[in-house]
Amino acid sequence: MKLLRKLEIIFAWLQHLRFSMPIDSDTLKSVSALLYERALKKIPDDTRGVLAQAQQRETDATARHTIMMMVESADLAHEQGSLVCSDVGIPTYSLKIGTRVQFSGQVRQAITDGFAELVANIQPPILKMVTHPLTHARSYAGKDIPIVSYDLIDDADYMDIVCSPKAMGTGRWEAAETFVYPTIEQAEKYVLDVILRAGSQPCLPIVVGVGIGGTLDHATKMAKEAMLRPHGQAHPDPMLAGMERRLLEAINQMGLGAMGTSGDCSAMAVNVEYSAGHGFVPIAVSLNCWINRRTAARIHHDGRVEMLYE
Amino acid sequence: MTGGWKCFMNEALTTAVQELTLPLDEHRVRALSVGQLVRLSGKVTVSIGIPTHQRMAEAALQGQPLPVDIRGGAFLHLSTYVRESDGVCEPIYLNPSTSTRYNAWMPAIVRGLGPRIVGGKGGLNAESVATLQECGCVYLSFLGGGSPLLSRALRGVHSMHWTEYISQFRLLTLDVQSLGPATVAIDAQGQSIYQSVGERAKARMPAILEQMAKARALV
Repeated sequence: MKLLRKLEIIFAWLQHLRFSMPIDSDTLKSVSALLYERALKKIPDDTRGVLAQAQQRETDATARHTIMMMVESADLAHEQGSLVCSDVGIPTYSLKIGTRVQFSGQVRQAITDGFAELVANIQPPILKMVTHPLTHARSYAGKDIPIVSYDLIDDADYMDIVCSPKAMGTGRWEAAETFVYPTIEQAEKYVLDVILRAGSQPCLPIVVGVGIGGTLDHATKMAKEAMLRPHGQAHPDPMLAGMERRLLEAINQMGLGAMGTSGDCSAMAVNVEYSAGHGFVPIAVSLNCWINRRTAARIHHDGRVEMLYE
Repeated sequence: MTGGWKCFMNEALTTAVQELTLPLDEHRVRALSVGQLVRLSGKVTVSIGIPTHQRMAEAALQGQPLPVDIRGGAFLHLSTYVRESDGVCEPIYLNPSTSTRYNAWMPAIVRGLGPRIVGGKGGLNAESVATLQECGCVYLSFLGGGSPLLSRALRGVHSMHWTEYISQFRLLTLDVQSLGPATVAIDAQGQSIYQSVGERAKARMPAILEQMAKARALV
């Protein structure tokens, strides 16, 4: 029996070796560059669908024309391989790494190299966006750039990379505040206040991500993840799904409209996420403009790269 | 709110786009109203640099000439990539940026340097709206994320000054053909779509909050 058990373990190990090759730095580098380029040159399919529907329903003539131009602009960028927007943002990547994944080289450096490769090769070339926060010096690289976050997925034999370039248009208006035992009403009011303050300034209609609870850093991370959620997925908890519905309706009733020049569609989605915490409750609001830059890929243990939400 | 023009607008909006050739006289600009769609042809000067705006406003206040005369022309918050090779400058693409961050300098620029058209996206504040009315200038809203459409208007670089700045911060004058369409969002009669939309949103808030409270009570 003992021998049999030992053989089983050896067999399992051999199987593991056969099917799981380590993920190499070159793959990470090229996937990082690819995700960024795709985020700049194509809007997500679901976003295009939401805009096309919004255009049909829009009752404001200027907004209807503006949304029509948005779809045309996005389609043209995709056809020509050009940039939808000249503010290419700063690179942010979120890595979710399966615990059964192995790496054969550097991970953080590979992402940095991937962005540098993109900067060197992309056509048309991109403008300098990476800015020193205090001297305002501009570059294509900088301290902590790309901004990378890491999470683990227990037992998974793959890793996901999400790329979400962050530009000034919405980055300027994101906000967080910490409350004490807020009611749902107060939480909802805060989100609306953030949107009202941004007003016509971001490129509407936007996607709104809200993170409630945990700690301040966790709430902002949840808000970002909620913002990146594919379209049409309500929160599984009815209490949160209710907030999402009410907030979306409320924001659209404000009447800011496409590009903030009046209209029925100011937000395409409001996605809320929450976490347990203490009695102090941070609430963070993350925003994405109408081009809704978000791309993601899954790198499998056998080296296959699969694009997620095209 | 955006005037009576909407009553006769139909889906064939392209027919309603006015073609404007720069430079423009005051009379032509004062005839424009919020909500109208326009395209620009001729020379437009662009920059999205805060130092650029500071320097322009300073020149305007001191009565110093700019290296390029924008009187009667257009000064727009459009970021532009200019490819430079073998001494040849070619504009590759352009796209609007949020104008509100230049609020502090726009009144001095408009009053002192005399553009008839300013623009970008997201609007300007009340002080700028008053200055546009006083001086006879309008603000145009360009489509953010509209680079592929807007860049088709690029014909060449007319001049490029203050080249010590990064590409999009320079004082750049471009030759364009039918740049747009853009929406007149602040006109020279003191009407601002942004002001009316913002005020309307604030005025709607009590009703919106009440409706949300009712919806919560149903759960």
